[in-house]
Amino acid sequence: MEILREKPSRNPKEVLTFAALVLLASVTLLTTAGIVLSLFGEVLQFFRRVPLAEFLLARDWTPLFAEPRYGISPLIAGTFLVTAIGLVVAIPLGLALAVYIAEYARGEAKARIKGTLELFEGIPTVVFGFFALLTVTPLLQKVIPGLNIFNALSAGLVLGFVILPYVANVAADAMESVPRSIREAAYALGARPYEVALRVVFPAALSGIVAAIILAASRAIGETMLVSIAAGQRPILTLDPRETIATMTSYIVQAATGDQPVGSTAYYALFAVGFTLFLLTLLFNILAQWVVERYRERYE
Amino acid sequence: MSSWQQTFGVDPWKDRVDRAFARALVLPLLLALALLAWLLGDTLYRSVSVQVLKADEGPGKTYAFGLSANEILRQELLARGYTEEEVQSALGDPRERRVLLMQNRVELMWNTHEGPFRYVVTGLRDERIADFSLLEGLRRWQELKANLKEGERLVLNPWLDQSFLTRVPSRSPLTAGIGTAIWGTVWVLGLALLIAIPVGIGTAILLEEYVREGRLNRILEVNLRNLAGVPSIVYGLLGLALFVRGMGLGPTILPAAMTLALLGIPVIVVTAREALRAVPESLRLAAFALGATRRQVAFRVVFPAALPGMVTGVILSAARLIGEAAPLLLVGAAAYVPFLPNSPLSEYTVIPVQIYLWVGMNLPEFARVAAAGILVMLLVLSVLYFLALYLRNRFRREW
Repeated sequence: MEILREKPSRNPKEVLTFAALVLLASVTLLTTAGIVLSLFGEVLQFFRRVPLAEFLLARDWTPLFAEPRYGISPLIAGTFLVTAIGLVVAIPLGLALAVYIAEYARGEAKARIKGTLELFEGIPTVVFGFFALLTVTPLLQKVIPGLNIFNALSAGLVLGFVILPYVANVAADAMESVPRSIREAAYALGARPYEVALRVVFPAALSGIVAAIILAASRAIGETMLVSIAAGQRPILTLDPRETIATMTSYIVQAATGDQPVGSTAYYALFAVGFTLFLLTLLFNILAQWVVERYRERYE
Repeated sequence: MSSWQQTFGVDPWKDRVDRAFARALVLPLLLALALLAWLLGDTLYRSVSVQVLKADEGPGKTYAFGLSANEILRQELLARGYTEEEVQSALGDPRERRVLLMQNRVELMWNTHEGPFRYVVTGLRDERIADFSLLEGLRRWQELKANLKEGERLVLNPWLDQSFLTRVPSRSPLTAGIGTAIWGTVWVLGLALLIAIPVGIGTAILLEEYVREGRLNRILEVNLRNLAGVPSIVYGLLGLALFVRGMGLGPTILPAAMTLALLGIPVIVVTAREALRAVPESLRLAAFALGATRRQVAFRVVFPAALPGMVTGVILSAARLIGEAAPLLLVGAAAYVPFLPNSPLSEYTVIPVQIYLWVGMNLPEFARVAAAGILVMLLVLSVLYFLALYLRNRFRREW
């Protein structure tokens, strides 16, 4: 657009407006700086007291014991476990839904399905936590012996439904952006709708689909209320889905709602866990963007 | 059969696969809808229960439908053995009356042992004898009614009622209410939007009307995309380190609102940009052709045209922020606040955090209180959602 590249105006009103807008927009940059700096400051305090090797390698997380240990692996394992269970639910269901939205639903129906997903996304996760703890867990306990009241399984299953709309929406967008001509060509060769969906559109949109899954995983890692309510707050190193576990997020909640004197190592540990969480989700988001850029099929 | 017929075309088995595939794809949607219905039904069912209660003081009477709270309290106090003068002085003094209402909840029950739709006065120290789910309670209603002892009453309790909405939290599930949390949410959300709307819409206008490309655009876009991916609890840590501790604001409404605002800005930017992008380019070009400056185009032509879309976006963002509990847990919302907040530096709690705290309580009836709280929150959210939908359709313009 030629006109959008004209010389900057010298009219003071114009300049002032522009400056004001830049000032407002800079708040978003300051937020990022604030997150990084505030976390980093407290994290430095933490690593002045606890060696990095212990944080990364020790196998227990017991900040409140007389002899506290600060090994993050139980929290990582808990996060990984719940996220994995969530993805096992969300990937097949979400992708099937995405294929349906992109390839089968038409007009009204499509809009209605998207509206329903929006509605689903709008439900606060504390509600899902309540549901997982009080409804899903008792039901599962009838089927699975030895299931704790707080367990990774029930939290993970419900988490799968929480991230399902996310997988479905992003993957459907990727499939919808596959050009129509490719579909028509496949139909012209006599392919059935399911063959077009699975063997033409799906591979063509694969980069976007992978990105959708990575983004959903990142969402699951950061999910807090559902996990703190239904999975419990006991950091142990296990991959048994029947066990009570703690994730990084649920530890942060537990520590923040308890009495943590400012300046204690346990207080700084809060930020060390938060920073790890931040780095992990950032890594996932960058990875998703990289996958989209690197493996996108171009059709021009 | 020739090879092309085998690959495509006339293969009845493939027809069957095709039909089965199309049907199977609907399953996840049905599953998700079923889960949603189950969740709602379950919450509704949990929010009603049949209870046998023993009044701490007085005979545990019920009162006819249609009486005022004042009249009910008067009769209750008389039934507890106070004299007419004592009752008059207690109800005449506004402070004593407030304390009385704090400790005794006047509720409308759907059914009682003395007939349907009657008021009861539930005291802070009333004792719960039994609590049944709706179906079991109704099945055993006659039996329970026959076995009532002196001072006990049998009620069908809808936990979500008018007095639930106005009461402050309580250690007893019988008298717990969500009033404080509602006001806390109003305060925190109101202040947060006051910060987030100008910043979010300003950023969107900058990105859509001023710098559509170039370095500034790239930096802002990449930053916004990453911010949108940051877990909300990390914003809570930011608020804790920077606003609560760093600025010394303490665990009060203002730092909570600032934290929530930062969380809401990327969401508002996205929705506002969509609204701005929906305004056709021809409108801008026409204005430029008439000699309008960039500021005039942005604020007098594009902004009014995009306003309905932006309002819709802000409402949807607000709905998202109402349900956020995680970041606020870190900036003080987990406190027990037995009064209504009255300034930006008041202590506070918000609806989702209050629900979280109730879910974590040991007494099983707190699950009923939590269910009532969830219903309140979902009700508020659906009102906002339909408002947004209405505005979107009412002001939709085809260019």
